[in-house]
Amino acid sequence: MSTAADERTHLDSRGHRLRVFLGGSKVYWLILPAFVFFLIFFIVPVLSLFLISIDKPVAGVVDPQWDFTAKNFIRFFTRATYYEAAVRSIGLATLVAIITLAIGYPLAYLIAKTENPGRNTFYMILVLCAMQLDMVIRLYGLMVLMGDNGLINRSLIDAGWIEAPLPLMYNFAGVVIGLVQFTLPFMVLSLIGVIRSIHPSLEEAARSLGATRRVAFWRIIFPLSMPGVLAGSLLVFAISISSYVVPALMGGWKVVVMPIHIYQQIAELGKWQFGSAIAVVLFCTSVVAVVVYQRYAAVSAGGRT
Amino acid sequence: MASLTDTAVPSVPSPRRWSERNVSLTIQIGAWIGFVILLLPVFIVVLAGLNSGEYLTFPPEGLSLRWVVEFLTSETWMGAYLFSLLLALITMAVSTVLGTMAAIVLARYRFPGRDLLRAYFLSPLILPGVVLGLALYVFFVTTNLGLARTLTGLVIGHVLVTCPYVIGTVSAALVSFDQSLEEAARSLGADAWTAFRRITLPNISAGMMAGAIFAFIVSFGQFDVSLFLSTPDLTPLPIALYISLRYTFEPTAAAAGIFAILLVIVSMLLTARLVNMRKFGGIKFS
Repeated sequence: MSTAADERTHLDSRGHRLRVFLGGSKVYWLILPAFVFFLIFFIVPVLSLFLISIDKPVAGVVDPQWDFTAKNFIRFFTRATYYEAAVRSIGLATLVAIITLAIGYPLAYLIAKTENPGRNTFYMILVLCAMQLDMVIRLYGLMVLMGDNGLINRSLIDAGWIEAPLPLMYNFAGVVIGLVQFTLPFMVLSLIGVIRSIHPSLEEAARSLGATRRVAFWRIIFPLSMPGVLAGSLLVFAISISSYVVPALMGGWKVVVMPIHIYQQIAELGKWQFGSAIAVVLFCTSVVAVVVYQRYAAVSAGGRT
Repeated sequence: MASLTDTAVPSVPSPRRWSERNVSLTIQIGAWIGFVILLLPVFIVVLAGLNSGEYLTFPPEGLSLRWVVEFLTSETWMGAYLFSLLLALITMAVSTVLGTMAAIVLARYRFPGRDLLRAYFLSPLILPGVVLGLALYVFFVTTNLGLARTLTGLVIGHVLVTCPYVIGTVSAALVSFDQSLEEAARSLGADAWTAFRRITLPNISAGMMAGAIFAFIVSFGQFDVSLFLSTPDLTPLPIALYISLRYTFEPTAAAAGIFAILLVIVSMLLTARLVNMRKFGGIKFS
């Protein structure tokens, strides 16, 4: 049974809660500007992109038709050009993750085991600089190095070792090399923390029990760094699969992956609905990798935040 | 999450030296191959920008400031560089303010849905940049808010991908800050704003600055988000470089690259002074 008194207490407590929310020592309202900003400019646009991807495809028209159909996705999964691009993207990202792990692990191991604080900071700055430098600038360097008239080919021809230039880029291999260069710092940063958290005494114990350095590494260190290995690989996978600029420049338009299809459908053909559908497929592929990544990242951070 | 405190247990000197010697030759060689892959392209850009000839040869023909001067006087390249700088500075300011305010609530109060809210603010990093740029572009065009093909539109895209870094570093700084200091100031009669400004703010300023620098540099090197949002009038440096690289290797572009490299090095050196590099890492998603 509800009485007037009950009602009043209820309202009072609500007013109190509002007062706590807006003022007092707890300033919850501080989160509102960022919350609203993300809501309007992130959640709404992404949801509308999903909406457009199931809208009736009309070339050159971006405004919603409100005529929902699965046509765009059916087209994607039934035309060889498109689903092969998806398969190619996934294969490319997987290969890049494996190669980057093989190259990044020794680097991360060396940095993790460097105890000299000055040298350690120096290495970290090198990795962070390489990571933060705009990828297009790094691609300039790679292209000057690897082109048909590039430094490597010209040096080899001048030395008389080869007759014709090696096809180092404008093909699949070139894209792989570019993506490995791009994602290497992310792999290294994912691994360093995990390798550092393995207590040296574990390796020492293995060594004192007669294991060689190689055996101690493969039986003790590497298995213990598995969370970092998985987290780094998934992160590299997610970054590789979403890269537009590396396949565009290093592949010379011959290695067509999902981001390139998105750009072509929208910027060149004006097929907004179909382009959005490819973007949704790309987004879902990348989200699967990231969600799995976060599970391992939580483990590799030792459950602390 | 990057933590700003050094919680590493001080270890005894002897096992420390033991572990350093224990990096085998195989791993050392592998590590140096990694460093070469990481840094060789950067080195080539610097060389190409300082090269005196039209094409980079090995060994280089000679060093000159010819292309640097060309860059400094080129309307296209200098314009793109300055535009990127402006975009990065505005993005940094907006991201730092929005991110710090959000981080204060996220780091200090326990309330239901806090983890969900934290994930909400990190989610733009999960989305491929090209998809985010496309979503924003479609949104701007369909809503007719006057944001399509504007500087504001670009800033909005860049804030979405830089704000998570600010939230990360400021939260880490707040977690390690002893909140009772602020309570002590309050109990001595300071009002909430004064206590925050005089006590908390100086203590988290290193985290805020590290976050701001990260926001700046991520925005300055941002390609994916800008791809759909830039126009011929509003071309940030990475887009200008991409357009030029599709057809030719201009040494002027390499000279522009040198100035971008300098900016990145300065930013990372500043970050190293502000936060403990040993604890730095995994800032991307966690």
